[in-house]
Amino acid sequence: MQLKYALLLIACGMATAAVAQEKAKDPKQFQQISPADVNILASYYTQDGNHSPVTGGIGTEQLTDVTPTIIVNVPLDTVTNLNVNFGMDFYSSASTDNIDPFTVSSASSSDTRTHINIGLSRNKNLHRVIRNINIGVSKEYDYTSFSVGAGWTKGSRDGNRELSLAGQVFLDAIKIIYPIELRDQGNFVSSYKRQSYNFSGTLSQVINRRLQISLSSDIVYQTGLLSTTFHRVYFQEQEAPEVEQLPASRFKFPFGLRLNYYAGDYFTARLFYRFYNDSWGISSQTVELETPVKLGPFFSIYPFYRYYSQTAADYFAPYGEHRLDEEYYTSDYDLSDLSSHKAGLGVRYSPLFGISKFNLPLAGNSTLFKSIELRAAQYWRSDGLHAFIISTDLGFSIPSGQ
Amino acid sequence: MKAKINIKLLLATSGLLMLMSSCEAIKPYQKTYLNEEEMQLSMRKPETFEVNFESYREGGSGANGGKVGGGCGCN
Repeated sequence: MQLKYALLLIACGMATAAVAQEKAKDPKQFQQISPADVNILASYYTQDGNHSPVTGGIGTEQLTDVTPTIIVNVPLDTVTNLNVNFGMDFYSSASTDNIDPFTVSSASSSDTRTHINIGLSRNKNLHRVIRNINIGVSKEYDYTSFSVGAGWTKGSRDGNRELSLAGQVFLDAIKIIYPIELRDQGNFVSSYKRQSYNFSGTLSQVINRRLQISLSSDIVYQTGLLSTTFHRVYFQEQEAPEVEQLPASRFKFPFGLRLNYYAGDYFTARLFYRFYNDSWGISSQTVELETPVKLGPFFSIYPFYRYYSQTAADYFAPYGEHRLDEEYYTSDYDLSDLSSHKAGLGVRYSPLFGISKFNLPLAGNSTLFKSIELRAAQYWRSDGLHAFIISTDLGFSIPSGQ
Repeated sequence: MKAKINIKLLLATSGLLMLMSSCEAIKPYQKTYLNEEEMQLSMRKPETFEVNFESYREGGSGANGGKVGGGCGCN
C-alpha cells in the first residue's frame, strides 16, 4: 500500500516536471523563463510518553510518522507560477489503538493522511506586487479537510521593505469515533464539522547591510467541533470515563519576530521569538536560535536550540481530577502547563553549479540535482514526552528550453 | 502583574521602533550578505515537519509560516 502511494508521489512530481518542460518549449515564449524547482522532502518522527489523552491522561503516547512530500514550483510564464505541494503521512500510534483496546490491532493503530495544495501566483514586477491563490485537500480515515486561501505582497520601491497579507479558510469534516465503552450511550457532541479562519500579516525590513527582521502576526478563529471525540476524561466522582468536551470556538493570537544577522563570512545568527495567547487561557513564549557555520563556500552546518513554555488551558486537569459539574474538560497534556526544549543539528550542501546532472523520463532537458539538506532534532517536554525527528530536502532544478 | 506585562510590552515596542528607525537605505548591490541563503527570513523547508509536530504537541502555534489550525486530525 505504501509503495503504491510512493509511486503516486513520484509520478506526480514527474508529470509536473513534464508540464514545466512543455511550457518551456512553447515557441511563443520569447522571454527567459526561470527553471522549475522540485523539492523532494521526507521526515521520520518518533515520540513516546506516558500521558495519552486517549486513555484519560495516562498510558502510552508512542507514535511514529513517516512523511514523504514533494513540492514543485513551475513558472508558467514570466509572471505566473504554479506551486504544487503533495505529501503523505504514514503513522502508527499505540495511543489511538487504545480507542478500542480489546482488539489486537484495530483500524486506529495506523493510518495514512494524504494532502495536496495547489497555488497560483502572479508577480507584477512593475508594481512590486505578488498576488496568490491556493486550494488544498487533506484526507485521512476520520478527517477530511478542504482549504482555500489568497495572499497579497507589496515590496517597497527600494526593495528594503515588504508587506504580506494572507487569508486562509479550512472547512473540515470529522468522522465521529467514540471510545469503545461509550459507543452505545448516545451522542456526546452536537457537530461533526470544524471551520478555521486564519488571517496573517508579515512586515519584513532590512535594517542594514548585515541585519534584517520580520514581524508576523496571525489572527485565527476556529469554530465547530474542537474536541477530539476519542479522548477519554476521568472524574473524581465516578469510575467510568466521559468524552472530552471543549468550547465550540477558539481565538488564537500569535505574534512573532524573526531576526537574521550576518556576523561574518563563516557565521550567521537566526533568531525567532513568538508570543502566543488564546481564548482558552493558554499563553506561551517561544525562543529559537540557529547559528549556521560555513565550513566551505557551499557547505554549512547549523546547530539550533528552541525553548518553549506555556500556561495550561482553563479546561485541563490530569487523570481523575476533573469534577462532574464542569462544563468543559480535557486531560490532554498538549494543553497542560508545560515547557519544552528542542536541540538539533542541520547540514546543507549546495554547490554553485549543483551536485550532479541527469535526465528524467518525460523531461527532455537535463535535470540539475542542486542541493541536499539534512537535519535532526531531539525534543524533550517537561511532562516526560520525548521525540526525535530526522528530515531531509533534496533540491532539483529543471531548466527551461528558452 | 498587569503593570509588569505592560512595561515589558512598552519596552519591546520601544526596542522595535528604535530598531526600525535605525534602518539604512541599502542599495541592491550592497545586499551581498543579505542575499545569502542563510539570511533568508523564511523557514527552511525541512523545518516545516518540526513546526507541524510542535503545533500538535503544544498549545501555541503560528506567526512562523506554519500550521495554526485546521487541516488535519493531528494525533
